[in-house]
Amino acid sequence: MIPQLLTVRYRRAGGRLRRLYVPLLPVLLVLSPVLLLAVLGGLTACLIYGVRPVGALRGLGRLVWALPGTSFEIEQGPAAVLVSIR
Amino acid sequence: MNEQRRQILQMLADGRITADEAERLIDAVQREGTEPVAGGTARPKVRPRYLRVVVNANDLVEGPSRINVRVPLQLLRAGVRLASLVPPQALHQVNAELHRSGVPIDLTQLKPQQLEELIEHLDEISVDIDSVDGKVQVFCE
Repeated sequence: MIPQLLTVRYRRAGGRLRRLYVPLLPVLLVLSPVLLLAVLGGLTACLIYGVRPVGALRGLGRLVWALPGTSFEIEQGPAAVLVSIR
Repeated sequence: MNEQRRQILQMLADGRITADEAERLIDAVQREGTEPVAGGTARPKVRPRYLRVVVNANDLVEGPSRINVRVPLQLLRAGVRLASLVPPQALHQVNAELHRSGVPIDLTQLKPQQLEELIEHLDEISVDIDSVDGKVQVFCE
């Protein structure tokens, strides 16, 4: 499943908890020209360093597809950060 | 179960137990019969999907801290497959840096199949470390 929502929650020392919801699909659409350039740059780097471009693209795709369900939660005293991908 | 019920009724008829006790025993036998029998009709083992790392620490200076990481095992598999694409010359450079840092690991000896097996058996891992300063748990769920 493609990741759809990135949730970031953070609380600074003495502050209140703030939430940031990032819908990934619209963001990817907005950034698609930059992503296209990044992919082209990556493919060029693959050719230079002798990495199979198709394998690299497939591996990257698998990595992105496996992201949903990942979450990191760090609390240190009153401060806290939570990053979750759904 | 019928045999057990017959024995209970026989004990009641012999006067060894009262009617109330017989009723409770029969209820217990019926409950036992409705529960799944271990090993017989047990459900197939559900494969874990996530690797969890939970760290709880108590620091006297900075206060209590907590780290809770959940990583899909599928993500680890994908990472391992991606890592297998790293060219050999890059691995040699990484090896050199590792040796310089005092970590004698030869990454060129790690085959993708071995890493796959490692991930496959990761679901059986469970690490619990308890100390005065904190607790570390690594497990799959």
